[in-house]
Amino acid sequence: MNDLTQEDLAQAIGVTRQTILAIEKGKYVPSLDLAFRISRQFRVNIEDVFQYDETHLSIDID
Amino acid sequence: MKKNTFYLAVGCIALALLAIFWYSIEVHRPFVIETAFIVAIAVIYFIRKQVTDIIEDERTARITEQASLRTFQVFWVVFCALSIGAVMQILYVPTFPREAIPVRPPEILGPRMMGYFQLGLLCLMIFLYVGFRIYYARKYGEWDTDEE
Repeated sequence: MNDLTQEDLAQAIGVTRQTILAIEKGKYVPSLDLAFRISRQFRVNIEDVFQYDETHLSIDID
Repeated sequence: MKKNTFYLAVGCIALALLAIFWYSIEVHRPFVIETAFIVAIAVIYFIRKQVTDIIEDERTARITEQASLRTFQVFWVVFCALSIGAVMQILYVPTFPREAIPVRPPEILGPRMMGYFQLGLLCLMIFLYVGFRIYYARKYGEWDTDEE
């Protein structure tokens, strides 16, 4: 909807493209700060981009 | 500075350090390589600040943090176990009966053995760090590609 490539988004929010890819694939859970930056980039609420899933709560605890 | 230029500079510094290392062995002056190593790390930190491309973010920082923490958690156990053994050698004094058992001087490692000992610890630390780094890099999708 924004015609943004992963590289463009990564540049815009100050992370590497690999981080965008890892977030998309669910390998990395972004910090609240990064999550807000991503949602602000798309001008939407944070809940529109990220959903809280209790079944995956244990992914990043260790 | 572009990140490739930075990596090239790091490679050159590593080669220079290797040359200085062998030189310091030739002249038998550890001070040369010790000083060069500290200067090299300082230079790398300095030129890293000049890189304009994004080479580190919160995910890479997390990989580094987790790998460092796990390395520390394993390494300190091994290091303390070996150190306790060494301290025991220094503190060992037969107390009873003093006349019957001659008091031996503590067995202290010679400089050469100490070098091997340090080399072993250094290699252990490097292997642990690299291993944990690879593990966490895979976990946080460092080498993932777009293809499913």
